Amino acid sequence: MSDAAQTIAVEVIGIEQITPLIKHFKLAPVGGGSLPVFSGGSHIIVVMQGTARLHKNPYSLLGSPLQLDSYEIGVRRMEESRGGSHFMHDSVKVGSRLEIAHPVNLFGLDKIARKHVLIAGGIGITPFLAQLEDLHGGGIPYQMHYSVRSSEHAAFLERLQRREGERLHMYYDSEGQLIPFETLLATQPLGTHVYVCGPAGMINHVIATAKACGWPDSHVHWEQFSAPPVGDAFEVFLARSKISVHVPPDQSLLESIEAAGVEVPYLCRGGVCGFCHTKVLELDGELVHNDHFLSDADKAKGKSIMPCVSRAHGKRLVLDL
Amino acid sequence: MLVTGIKSKPVYAPLQADIRGRYHLMLGMGVGAAPLLRVIAEMRAASEASLKYTRVLYVPGAEAEQFKTAAVSDVQIFAGTPALLESFRQVLAQSLMGTRLYVAGPESFIGLVMKIALEFNLNKDEIRAEECGSLARRIYCIHCRATTEEVRTNIVRCVGCERWLLVRDHYSRRLAAYMGVMVDAEAPGELPLLKEVFL
Amino acid sequence: MSAVFKPHETFRDDFTYANSPQAIRRFPLPFPEDNYMYSVNIEPHMPGPAGSVTEFAFDVDEHYVAECRERAIVLAAEPLRYQALPHMMSSQWDCMELIMDSLARDYPEHFSLAKQGNRWHWINRPLEIDQHFTFGDAASLPREPLDYITRQAQGDFVVMDQREGDLWTEAGMVTTQADWSLDFDMGMTFKEWHGPVPLAHELQVFDRALKFLLNLRLGAPVRRLNWTMTINPRLDTSPENYPFWGPDRASVTAQNAGDRVHLRVELQGLWRLPRSNAVVFGIRCYLISLRELATVPKWARRVHRVLRHLHPALIDYKGLTRYREAAVAWLAPFDDGSPTTPGTASE
Repeated sequence: MSDAAQTIAVEVIGIEQITPLIKHFKLAPVGGGSLPVFSGGSHIIVVMQGTARLHKNPYSLLGSPLQLDSYEIGVRRMEESRGGSHFMHDSVKVGSRLEIAHPVNLFGLDKIARKHVLIAGGIGITPFLAQLEDLHGGGIPYQMHYSVRSSEHAAFLERLQRREGERLHMYYDSEGQLIPFETLLATQPLGTHVYVCGPAGMINHVIATAKACGWPDSHVHWEQFSAPPVGDAFEVFLARSKISVHVPPDQSLLESIEAAGVEVPYLCRGGVCGFCHTKVLELDGELVHNDHFLSDADKAKGKSIMPCVSRAHGKRLVLDL
Repeated sequence: MLVTGIKSKPVYAPLQADIRGRYHLMLGMGVGAAPLLRVIAEMRAASEASLKYTRVLYVPGAEAEQFKTAAVSDVQIFAGTPALLESFRQVLAQSLMGTRLYVAGPESFIGLVMKIALEFNLNKDEIRAEECGSLARRIYCIHCRATTEEVRTNIVRCVGCERWLLVRDHYSRRLAAYMGVMVDAEAPGELPLLKEVFL
Repeated sequence: MSAVFKPHETFRDDFTYANSPQAIRRFPLPFPEDNYMYSVNIEPHMPGPAGSVTEFAFDVDEHYVAECRERAIVLAAEPLRYQALPHMMSSQWDCMELIMDSLARDYPEHFSLAKQGNRWHWINRPLEIDQHFTFGDAASLPREPLDYITRQAQGDFVVMDQREGDLWTEAGMVTTQADWSLDFDMGMTFKEWHGPVPLAHELQVFDRALKFLLNLRLGAPVRRLNWTMTINPRLDTSPENYPFWGPDRASVTAQNAGDRVHLRVELQGLWRLPRSNAVVFGIRCYLISLRELATVPKWARRVHRVLRHLHPALIDYKGLTRYREAAVAWLAPFDDGSPTTPGTASE
């Protein structure tokens, strides 16, 4: 989306601290009525007006796609937050107003899969909660593997246990329990799809293990919204707009460009979808690629950048914007 | 009426061993034996172990004997394609993720194998196919939905409605067939010269 | 302004279909210039001017009742013109909701929809339908949801599942098509489905269109126009029935082209569907005879020029070979060589 696209005004109608780090928010449309229907795995962009600046963060929708009087999201307080998750945790109260964008699904279930294996680490459980609503009661077999630090960090555990019973497999780091990735992925029937959401290390491990077990890439699905990492401040020149923009350490390139009044099309704001792909016209220095979209070869070429999460340091960066 | 240059026509490439796969399932017909034996040799060179997980389903061809000396543990020879396809379906039902499919033979054979593979949600990353032998086509009559087998000519009389059909390049993997469409609808009786083109 | 239906006009046999002067004025001419080549001419499907074919999500015009009857005739003879693979059921409900919501909102004098939770009540006054059903329960409807609702809509509908970075044609209702077969193309990827289209692949039209559609957003539908020509106002120019309509092409002369030759324009709309994350592709067909078209002088000049200079591969693909010259000859007296203003407005 871009800022020109429609957003929906919502009011926070419920907040619950469900683990030491995760808060659960319920968002209802201002003035009542229904929110748009969505599919399991969808996320929304939440627009927050902070004191210093605007935050726009992606959060997976975790409620039932059949309950549309409110949306549910889970927000983990990030250690190195640039403000978005801290804003949600510290400044948003019941009754607060936020803007959200229409749901987008970049992590949908494969509809012709013969089996689904879902793997979550920590807050990565959120997109699966809505997907499980879709899978529950359908004819396709599935398993949910959920790994957490310890029982106090097991967000949404009751909801999962109640619904999923034996299909839920829990793993607690505190008990030394690890998901047996190798065994799990080496023994799945043909036509299985695996989905993983969690810390980067877990995602990379699942991707590597699946490859080692002979899985084709098309059966391995993952989603990880990178929060735009902090970095050095740098300057960027926008060639078509003919303006120079300062990017401070705790603001992303995309946010800085938007703050300067230039619109860049985006969907995920998390380095996943490739929608904000921007051409680099000149570079004296180096790009700091933090996205999951560009191939390593494209990253090395330095001819394009995903401004939602990636940065630069050096003397000069000119973008085709 | 576009006949050739249609992008739905499948593109085949010479088979190569894909040692990223854990299990290798090979299906061949007739002269399709040669590409499969070539892949087996490649796999032996890359990793002897992978041959333990290699299985061959084959309809001869004079080449059946050669598989016996190829040191592949599991080779099944079938009297005809229907028996092979039936066994193939059973093998897929028991197969695990990590399986690679290698198909070699005439296009019509490849198409029938692919059609079953699709039902098991195998996709293009898991299947390799090399066309060899006859280029004869299966033709689906768009008017009466009958399929005419072993078509070698540019136009063919439909086995169902007996109309003369133009053989197009438009291909359906679901039907494992090319489209046939009435050739003389606009000018009855005006047929192009019959030519053998799919040999 | 609501159109007055012409329930008895026909699209076969005696071909009584015709456009009223109002329908001619709102005809969606697909040629903004005097020449034509493919482009990725996609734009947001935003409401157009009042009375135009894009005023609403789905245009209901004076041919509505007759087109629904024509669809029923085709389906009675060939049930496979409607097909849906089993995994497309959630997208079927999505389509039904999209169409019912739009029609009830935009044409309250003709349609109404009342929802109480999952219990829905649908009224279609022009077709005299009054249906109570449970949303999500296929057994509560007389047909599958996509079949049910598209029998009450003008234009074809194709539903594409999104997976593996592609769009797969896996459900649809196709009875008013320009020579392509849903039955044959079911299960195809986006590029396989468009495989027979010449030139456009080389222009990377489908690469770009696919990339665009994979990122199509909820609540942000898009549209484009496409066109071909048809002899007689025949909606069902399917490959299945080509033996019956193919001979028409040989019947055109420079004398009868004005009444026989029709410009066939498709208003194509694309929507992301919410529950299924599928994409529905609506293909609404508008037919206008050259004689009707020539009542707008600028359009006559423009269409004459487009047809005269059309690329040979497009002439073949669109099936114009046998009668293009006759159509050009019939239009020639309307083209005095004076320039046309840019855009498609009638003046």
